[in-house]
Amino acid sequence: MNAQEKAQRGTLVIERSYRANIGDVWDLWTTKDGFESWWGPQGFRVEVSELNARVGGALCYEMIADTPEMIAAMKQMGAPVSHPTNSRFTELEPRERLVITNVIDFIPGVTPYESQIAVDFKVQGPQVRMVVTLDALHSDQMSQMQREGFTSQLTKLDARFGSAAQT
Amino acid sequence: MQLDVFQALADPTRRRIVETLLLGEQQVADVVAKAGIHQSGVSRHLRILHDCGFVSMRPDGQRRFYALRPAPFRQLDGWLTPYRELWEARLDRFGAALEERSKQRRAKEAKEGKKRS
Repeated sequence: MNAQEKAQRGTLVIERSYRANIGDVWDLWTTKDGFESWWGPQGFRVEVSELNARVGGALCYEMIADTPEMIAAMKQMGAPVSHPTNSRFTELEPRERLVITNVIDFIPGVTPYESQIAVDFKVQGPQVRMVVTLDALHSDQMSQMQREGFTSQLTKLDARFGSAAQT
Repeated sequence: MQLDVFQALADPTRRRIVETLLLGEQQVADVVAKAGIHQSGVSRHLRILHDCGFVSMRPDGQRRFYALRPAPFRQLDGWLTPYRELWEARLDRFGAALEERSKQRRAKEAKEGKKRS
């Protein structure tokens, strides 16, 4: 992705360092039980139906509302309490880098497009540095949020900043 | 057609102009010199940035001074905030899961070590 595309997509970079074994860090991304143990998001759990950690391998999971509040919220929005996600590992260098590509093909009226999550791992002494690079605005979660009513919140935000810009 | 904030910054020349204006209020000629862009292009891009709310223009006699305005940057940040929060929370869970996994592995290794000895 070039710089222009990055700006267009609203790329987000998040870094974390963990005092841990690189094998354990890698397994959390590339094994069924590892992935299920943390993916979320908050209020959701995932059930992985297929995870094939090789280039071109599938990562398919069901995202399921998992708390009474989230289940109620989804029902109130008329959204299903679970939805399937189909992704692929499009780059994979064991314990160094992986890229997960999602196809966003569920938004009515929007041509399907791809969104990527790239993760780089670096061992630094007793720590593992993990850098996650995301297509923030063209992601499954953001698209999902937009579809499920966050759009109205953001429109309010636009209106607020719009009026601020005119002062 | 007025561009949105992302479309406005998608253009590399406009990003260069914005970066130049980070140094403070400037005339077109200064932007041209610092950003290394042709004058005609700069005027057009400054007009687009002005229409999108990125820059303000202050006339002073024959001269026009351009400066950045904060509103669109707040809007960009506002767009990214829910997503950043979602990922911060997700990576907190990653950290907790990692700790649990490391603990289990160490316990398993200790058990196997005991068996061997």
